[in-house]
Amino acid sequence: MSPRSEALGRVLVVDDTPFNRQLLVRLLRTIGHEPVEAADGQAALDLLRNPAIPTVDVILLDLVMPGLDGYETLAALKADPALRELPVIVISGVDELESIVRCIEMGAADYLPKTFDPAILRARIAASLGQKRLRDLEREATERQQATNDVLAIMSRSAFDLQTVLEAVVEAARRLTAADYGAAYAESGGAFRVVASSGGSVELDGYERSHPIAPGRDSLVGRVALTGEIAQLDDVLGDEEYASTPGQVAAGYRTLLAIPILIDGDVVGVLALTRNAVEPFSGGDQGLARGFAEQAAIGMANARLLATIERQRGQLARFLSPQVAALVSSPDGEAMLAGHRREITAMFCDLRNFTTFSEMAEPEEVLGFLRLYHATVGALVVEHGGTLEHFAGDGIMVFFNDPVQQEDHAARATRMAIAIRERFGALADDWRRRGHVLEVGIGIATGYATMGRIGFEGRYDYGGVGNAIILASRLSSDAGPGEILLSQRTFAAIDGAVEAEPAGERQLKGFSRPMATFSIQARTRGAPAEAAAS
Amino acid sequence: MTRAGGPIDEATYDGLIAMTGGDLEFINDLVDTYLADGLDQLAALDAAVASNDAAALTRPAHSLKSSSLNLGALLLGEMCRELEEQGRATQIADASSRVAGVRDEFDAVRAWLLEHRATQASA
Repeated sequence: MSPRSEALGRVLVVDDTPFNRQLLVRLLRTIGHEPVEAADGQAALDLLRNPAIPTVDVILLDLVMPGLDGYETLAALKADPALRELPVIVISGVDELESIVRCIEMGAADYLPKTFDPAILRARIAASLGQKRLRDLEREATERQQATNDVLAIMSRSAFDLQTVLEAVVEAARRLTAADYGAAYAESGGAFRVVASSGGSVELDGYERSHPIAPGRDSLVGRVALTGEIAQLDDVLGDEEYASTPGQVAAGYRTLLAIPILIDGDVVGVLALTRNAVEPFSGGDQGLARGFAEQAAIGMANARLLATIERQRGQLARFLSPQVAALVSSPDGEAMLAGHRREITAMFCDLRNFTTFSEMAEPEEVLGFLRLYHATVGALVVEHGGTLEHFAGDGIMVFFNDPVQQEDHAARATRMAIAIRERFGALADDWRRRGHVLEVGIGIATGYATMGRIGFEGRYDYGGVGNAIILASRLSSDAGPGEILLSQRTFAAIDGAVEAEPAGERQLKGFSRPMATFSIQARTRGAPAEAAAS
Repeated sequence: MTRAGGPIDEATYDGLIAMTGGDLEFINDLVDTYLADGLDQLAALDAAVASNDAAALTRPAHSLKSSSLNLGALLLGEMCRELEEQGRATQIADASSRVAGVRDEFDAVRAWLLEHRATQASA
């Protein structure tokens, strides 16, 4: 990742003969490499293991040396995980074929004849450097791939845990670009605040976290917020517009890179990386950082999506019955929506005289009444755990035992019908005083139906198809004002839980034979007609 | 062991100069290094003979061999190679006379190198 030019490298010459060292060093300089010298094996190992000395790219190793000789040095290099990959070119006379073979077997990359020839020297070093570059690139690529995989794994494991994702992104970006400090800023209320960071001193991180950055030219994060483009300051001290902050002074960082985190072209955050030395981030580093900024953007977009889903689910619940809203967003929702057969109890409820009422009353009055009626019935549906299939003007259909299963579905439907009738009575009193006689008629039937998604793309209802539903609808139509009619099967299912009386066999539209019906009498109120007269 | 021409193969020597891009100052430095180091190696060879330690011949002979060959002192290099082999085989038998031969040839090489340097300097 260093900006060193292609074919040149740092070459360590290990030879005890001063003449050879001097000649090799000179030849290496002529070729353009940067030579480093060691007079014996031990000196070479010490130098290679000294962290203060810049890394070497290739080693030229003499074999016959006092102390640690060439073979022992080679063995020590190959046994050291940190030095194992360094290419070693053994310097050997052409008459020493045996030792060359031995060294290659021990892991030497190549050999150089003792009578130095600049052309051969150049070629052998270039070949070894090439191999090393390739290995370095490979290792770098593997490292980057690994880091990307790590972040992706974290994202898939905790897709909606934005904090974890951002921390992984910042940490990986900082480590792989060899930055000293990395921070992810997120926009909130017009300013960019640190939401995740990696490296850096406590002072710097503390400063950055407590000082949100506003879009503007005086900071790099601010500039990126303005432009939406990646930006680098090779040296913050050399930039006229950059205003140094106590954080910068404390950390002493010099090179600054900032990458926008974009969602649909909007700057929702900034990924910033700093280096304490004036050492600009290479094109490769910037590409890498862009990749991580994209992952941060995906993380932020996921979090937004989650918030939207939660909000929609909340809103959905206001339009759909809570059971259907939950079903739509549940894991097995799709299978349930696709259709399934189940025994249900359906309840239909509509108003007697509603058509006359809507013709006579003002439209605003009708709407106001419907709102009140829907709100009253809606609350009762929720209270009894019914699934509201639809409101259609004055008609309401509710079913029980689907999608949430309820053993007492027939009894629930019946109890709810009674409650609707009672509440509606109170509601209707106001209108009755104004001369509008409105009464509910309710039909309840139990039986098997196919339940699921009904409709077409863009407009679906959760509903059912089955005789019980049709029967409930017909019973509702046939019911007198304030009457609740049950089918025989519903009556059998409630098993005396609610008092009902036979209401005769009725010939209903669409049914070939007369159907036995049962009626529930109002407990507290008299007959609807009498109530209207009182 | 005899030689037809001078102690230095001039083609090799000129090649060395060409290799450095005709940097005579560097060549003079290099020759100084060679001569100083050569004396050290000769002293080590003498010590090996004096202590009857054949194995101790190997490293100095090897060292003097490689630098001599690079400089064009081909005969001296060959003599050192033989001495190196003798050391590896731990044969001390005629080491004394062989080391004396190496010293004589080294002296001839040194004389040539110094003379050549003077020639260059005056050229």
